[in-house]
Amino acid sequence: MKLVIIDYGMGNIKSITSAFKYLNVNDITISNKYSEIKSADKLILPGVGSFAKAVEKINKLDLQKILDEIVLENKKPVLGICLGMQLLCNSSEENSSEENSSINGFGYIDAECKRFNIQELKVPHVGFNQVRVNNNSKLYDGFSEENDFYFTHSYRVQSNTSINQSICIYGEEFISSYEVGNIAGTQFHPELSQTNGLKLLKNFLEKF
Amino acid sequence: MLRKRIIFTLIYEDGKFNQSRNFRLQKVGNINWLEKNYKFRDIAFSLDELIVLNASKNGKNIEDFSKVLEKLVKDVFIPVAAGGGIKSLEDAELLFNSGADKLVLNSALYENKVFVEKLIKKYGSQSIIGSIDYKLNCAYINNGLNKINKPLKEYINYIVSLGVGEIYLNSIENDGTGFGYDFGTIKEVAKDITIPLIIAGGAGNASHLQSGLDVHGVNAVATANLFNFIGDGLPSARSGIISNNGNIAQWK
Repeated sequence: MKLVIIDYGMGNIKSITSAFKYLNVNDITISNKYSEIKSADKLILPGVGSFAKAVEKINKLDLQKILDEIVLENKKPVLGICLGMQLLCNSSEENSSEENSSINGFGYIDAECKRFNIQELKVPHVGFNQVRVNNNSKLYDGFSEENDFYFTHSYRVQSNTSINQSICIYGEEFISSYEVGNIAGTQFHPELSQTNGLKLLKNFLEKF
Repeated sequence: MLRKRIIFTLIYEDGKFNQSRNFRLQKVGNINWLEKNYKFRDIAFSLDELIVLNASKNGKNIEDFSKVLEKLVKDVFIPVAAGGGIKSLEDAELLFNSGADKLVLNSALYENKVFVEKLIKKYGSQSIIGSIDYKLNCAYINNGLNKINKPLKEYINYIVSLGVGEIYLNSIENDGTGFGYDFGTIKEVAKDITIPLIIAGGAGNASHLQSGLDVHGVNAVATANLFNFIGDGLPSARSGIISNNGNIAQWK
């Protein structure tokens, strides 16, 4: 199994790498090169930090073109984590300006990222929260109805259509993960969610 | 529902982990001692987060600290925050590459605002914990040595305005006593803080942790007490809190 963690200079790659090492993945490559991404069995799109900065780096590395071919056309499985999950969506209002009300992501998932905007709610949303699992999602094979996962984020994904999502509640319902064909994403950090997280990552390795 | 968190704080100084008492450090043991007495990979399953602070005074040797950190967090799949003496973007990167998921800043919050803003811009608010040590309604920086001449609440508001993601509020007077948290100050601060609040200083047993978790506006309780939670202290504190219907995460 060759797993490529897409490196665009942002993300807690160390924690993700150690989780997959623990799950006995023998080839873990951290790269942004076309040839490596093409030869991977599975891809991880990590991400910590700001949306705009991530998009800037992705553009510089021409990653959109590479992933369009490998993820959209060749249907290689990809898991986006936290900011990575948001980047696979249409757009985000994070770092938006007066001229641009939003910044575009990869556009593979029909959803938008918006800031939590409920009064009295502490932002960022930090800590373990219960995810109401989606039984149609392979990520949650073998899980019970509600499970604790670790979140840390200020923006959350919303969609007007079904993106085969799981739901979490923080002041309001928001999308805690999605799974559309070969493309999956989690707002939470499975690599920081103890046994629950390891189990989900194992599902991604084995069932996609 | 968002769970509250139990955090274990380890205080590192020149190769040893320490028990702090009112900010005076007592060396307890090195990483092997910690492994033996805390069986770290097992204990981690009773914690929501780990904070590792570098209190080394001689130039805060960050290379050695990062090596210990890396060893400590191997196969520990919980969020890890590290801090103490972070002075440059290179320091920050070194800690992230050694297994930190977040950074803890303290003196830099007051002394180097531009640097803090740079870190937040690069890593995002959620990656930065603003740590505040206080005594008698005043914050102190540089390991509790220098007093900030502002009321505590005003200083907290200033730290929040910098854009940090969480506040770690540590009572110097209660630190290491094992007598319980400083609820007077905590309740006063917790009622109007707009970002997650972690309290520290004084927890000596499970019921202290529980009372901390019960405070409205407190998001996490931390303990740095190496003596009181030795052996299975942390796992049994956690299971006790869960059986009392405490709102903390459960893993299968």
